[in-house]
Amino acid sequence: MSAVTLEDVTFTYPGAAAPTLRNVCLDVPEGDFLAIMGANGCGKSTLCKTMNGLIPQFIVGDLTGTITVGGIDAATAQIGELARKIGYVYQDFENQLVRPTVLDEASFSCLNYAYDDYIERGMRALDLCGLSDRAESYIWQLSGGQKHLLALAGAIALEPGVIVLDEPVAQLDPYHAQKTYEVLRDLNENHGKTIIVIEHHTDFIAKYCKSAALMRNGTIAWTLPAHEALQQLEDLEASDVHPPQIALAGRELKHAGALPQRAPLPTTVEEGFAAFSGIPFIPPADRAGSDEGADRTADAGGSSLSADPIVRFRNVSVSYRSVKGAPRRVFEGLDLDIQRGEKIALVGSNGAGKSTLMKLLYGLIKPQAGEILLDGAPTRGMGPDELSEKLSLVYQNPEQMFIKDSIRADIEFAMRARGVDDAAARTDELLGRFRLTELADHDGRLMSGGQMRRASLAIGIALNPPVLLLDEPTANLDIGTRQEITRLIADLRGVTDTVVIATHDMQLVCQFADRIIVLCDGEIIGDGTPDEIFMNADVVERSGIRPPEIFAMGQALDCSAACYTLDAFLGCFPAWQKMKEHGVAGERAGAPSFSPSSTRARYAHEYEEGDAA
Amino acid sequence: MSTYAERGATQSQKLMVFVLSMSLYGLATLISELIPSVQIGIVELSVEFFLFIPLTLAMLFDPLSAALGAATGELVFSEIMLGQFGGLGELEKFLTVTIGVYIAGLMVRDPRNAKQVAIAAITGPAIQLAMSAVVDIVKVQVAVDDFEAVAGLPESVFATEGFAFLNDLCFSGILFCLLPTLFLVPRLYGKIEPLLGCKPRTPENDAAPTLSGRVIAWSAVGFIVAIVVACVSKAGFSIIEWEAEWAESQIAIFTGIGVAAVVALIVAFWARRSAQLRNA
Amino acid sequence: MMEKLSENIMDKVSIDFLRDQVLKNAYGNDDTPIAQLDPRVLLLWYLFFALVPWFLNDVVVLMGMFVLTAITTRLARVAPLVLFVFALGVFSQTGYMFVASLLFGGDMSTLAPLLVLTLKVATVSLASITVFSGLDPDKLSNGLLWFGCPERLSFSISFAYRILPILMEEMQNILLSYRMRGRAPEHDTFGGKVRWVIYQVKTIVQSFYPLMLNTAKRSRTTVEALELKGYRYAATNMKVLKIKLSSLHAGRREAVFAFVSAAWVACCFACPAALEVLL
Repeated sequence: MSAVTLEDVTFTYPGAAAPTLRNVCLDVPEGDFLAIMGANGCGKSTLCKTMNGLIPQFIVGDLTGTITVGGIDAATAQIGELARKIGYVYQDFENQLVRPTVLDEASFSCLNYAYDDYIERGMRALDLCGLSDRAESYIWQLSGGQKHLLALAGAIALEPGVIVLDEPVAQLDPYHAQKTYEVLRDLNENHGKTIIVIEHHTDFIAKYCKSAALMRNGTIAWTLPAHEALQQLEDLEASDVHPPQIALAGRELKHAGALPQRAPLPTTVEEGFAAFSGIPFIPPADRAGSDEGADRTADAGGSSLSADPIVRFRNVSVSYRSVKGAPRRVFEGLDLDIQRGEKIALVGSNGAGKSTLMKLLYGLIKPQAGEILLDGAPTRGMGPDELSEKLSLVYQNPEQMFIKDSIRADIEFAMRARGVDDAAARTDELLGRFRLTELADHDGRLMSGGQMRRASLAIGIALNPPVLLLDEPTANLDIGTRQEITRLIADLRGVTDTVVIATHDMQLVCQFADRIIVLCDGEIIGDGTPDEIFMNADVVERSGIRPPEIFAMGQALDCSAACYTLDAFLGCFPAWQKMKEHGVAGERAGAPSFSPSSTRARYAHEYEEGDAA
Repeated sequence: MSTYAERGATQSQKLMVFVLSMSLYGLATLISELIPSVQIGIVELSVEFFLFIPLTLAMLFDPLSAALGAATGELVFSEIMLGQFGGLGELEKFLTVTIGVYIAGLMVRDPRNAKQVAIAAITGPAIQLAMSAVVDIVKVQVAVDDFEAVAGLPESVFATEGFAFLNDLCFSGILFCLLPTLFLVPRLYGKIEPLLGCKPRTPENDAAPTLSGRVIAWSAVGFIVAIVVACVSKAGFSIIEWEAEWAESQIAIFTGIGVAAVVALIVAFWARRSAQLRNA
Repeated sequence: MMEKLSENIMDKVSIDFLRDQVLKNAYGNDDTPIAQLDPRVLLLWYLFFALVPWFLNDVVVLMGMFVLTAITTRLARVAPLVLFVFALGVFSQTGYMFVASLLFGGDMSTLAPLLVLTLKVATVSLASITVFSGLDPDKLSNGLLWFGCPERLSFSISFAYRILPILMEEMQNILLSYRMRGRAPEHDTFGGKVRWVIYQVKTIVQSFYPLMLNTAKRSRTTVEALELKGYRYAATNMKVLKIKLSSLHAGRREAVFAFVSAAWVACCFACPAALEVLL
């Protein structure tokens, strides 16, 4: 029995030149957990809106084909009837919440459809989403992850058979993302719900989804079991979907002949362990590790010698007024020094105090006790003019950075206001550096997510601030764009002096930071180099940070391995090293005719060891 | 309202405009509530600092939704949230703001035409200010005992209201309605509509009714209601007095009858409403 | 004064403060004796105190009613900000008239009617503060619904409290962008001060350009979600109304409240007569 069936669906937005959906055929069986993948703008969200009747019942446009949800025709069914068949969670779920309290929100749709037991239904939905203990809370008291779960609870309160989620984890920290997926899995496996997610994160697809579909140019390219789907590396890469790093590693090892050609590519850590554990794996504990370590400690050591740190928190205490009861303490006697030139990542789950720390620096919040010294001078009493000479903040939501009607004007704004002589020239340079020249006259908020980020970075560094603060610079981006932004930020290493990034994105952390500060409930529970942090199981556990998948893979193979990138991971395989040395030609010629990998690998292993000795 | 829904914005787009206008104007009035009224000499300027927000929205989208949204926003955010609900008197503000913004929105057929926008942006507030000035005068006239007898009061009321009207129109009308609207409308045109999923307004696809006699008639009715409401809320005194003259010494009896009648009415309404809900 | 006031508006601390006060006022006092009353009774009570004072002219009676509403306001534990706005409102409604009539040749004879007027305004305002700030918004909107107010209004009330923190944060961030990236003119001289005020006003007006676009984006999702949750369907459905309003209950507590108020008012009316008899 099918939960959702689309037959030959084509949809064109009013005034659009080309259809957004073309001849989409999709059949989702009941009880499926389907991921829809695809590049930004390929029509994924539009597809989902046809399923719940928003198109064509509220969003007018040209729709042909039939859409059947739970046996009824979505285009003509009563929206109330349809709502009992299919629930929908938006990507910007925050705006989906329309009531002030949690229980109210969860039971709102049941009330609207005149269920006498709407409270019980709301409670049941909250229970399923693990929010029953927050039923009486107000929405603004919830964390981002809880808000997302609440939006989900609101969607399942009517007990629909199908739940559609648009990029469920895009705005969540890794801990909450996982929690959301655990809830979804529970709904899928124990409550018989069919779940459809739009998802870029292949590691989640690998772990939780049963099947996956790829969308390309408004149509479904294929639908496959999730495991197989993630092995279509070329297709995925062509659609800007980044396959699991473990699968990529598997492909490389196949090229190197370390894995049999016919073997399926591993997509999760467990599969990876099964596939890779037979292959010699030697983490370069002494060599590269110490190199890097030395590099980084030298950096840190050099600056710690300077007696005056650029930022200094001295015994800072902050608490927020709360609507009821005692104020909420965020920091209690916080001490922190940031040296000139440090590249710092601030990590920790939502609500750990990252944003508060940023806001303190920026003077948006004044500490109740203690002081913050910026370049030796206390920030208290510093005007915005003085403060903005010293630091610059790029908001998490780039839309709030755009205050003019074109990004050129936005970038220029601060320089103009300060009478910088070569403002126009510098703006041009920044536009070029962030590849925005073509878009210079567009309004920032009408651009794509990645373009918005680039523009907000350009605005942030326009004044060449000595300290640059970035709040979640890679949130809400698909992985392709995310990597691009990560690269751009990495490029900033040479341009800006001190950079502090608050982020959940461990890829970014690994590629950028020299020093990681781990916050947990307003306390600094870890402060050190990436190795020191990620290798410390206690810190990782307490803060809920999730090192990149490839790091976990390396750890699974050898607990002393600390690889943050694919190349670093592959570098631990002598077989791959060998192939690299032999170059591309050797790889091509050698690939089909590799002898059983073990002997070669052992040879390479010995070779490597000999070299090291 | 629903007659042209098919041709123009859909109901949900109207709801979007309503929500947008309500939240923005509501927030703005909440903030402006905290600005002490500016005094220049003896004249208190009752400046609607942020009227440009609904004006802009009314010109770009469905005027009625924008107008109603703004009036509701003001009611909810600045009156109810801060507990400054003036009872029936608020209805007067509600109606004058709605009418002013609605008419301004209707006057614009093509938001790209700066002249149209400018004329509408000053006419809308002018209508609103004129209406509230008239209402204010009537209100003070009935509220203050022996209006004519208080030395200097009638003159002062007429003078202050008249002066305030002119001053508001020239000062806040131009500074806070005309200029910001002229700044915002062209900048938002073509950008904000796709965000709500509708097409920009052009003379061709315009579905709003033209500024016809009917609209003016309805606005006039609304204005009269506003005056009546304002008077009812403050004119009680004269009515009682009139009754008292008529009833001479039987004030007590009539007051008793009045109170009884009111109580009976409330009880009847309560019972009817409960029954209605029980049977639903 | 102009400068101080703009400084206040621009100061993000006060925006935080404003949000805090409004939310506190709405939800922070739901355990007071006033908040626990049935909203319908309170609304009727309000209707009485919003209308009757206008009909009265006796300073003593008005004073009595003023005291009663002051007490209920105290019981409702409203936020200080609301009281501040109240004071501001009373002054601007009658204070300026007093000055004006003095200037137009009035004398102390003007004072008496204006005192009466001030008492009326104050009583009515305090009654409204008691009811509209004392009740939590959901109760209030249920009460209004019961009396047949449009569903749109009652929804707007709840939604306003939902959207307020979001909008305020958005506005704060946008204003902060202007503050950090822009540069306000020096305001040491008089000319500088004028330029500074103009700059601030311009900033606030301009900040609505991004704010409007950002809010437009949000409201689309909000309205689509509302449609999916059957909001428009419910607005015309009597059964929904019945379910929603089934929580309303008027009992002994309400009766006591009504009786005490009525007794107090009756005393006020009787007081002048009693004084006459005694003297």
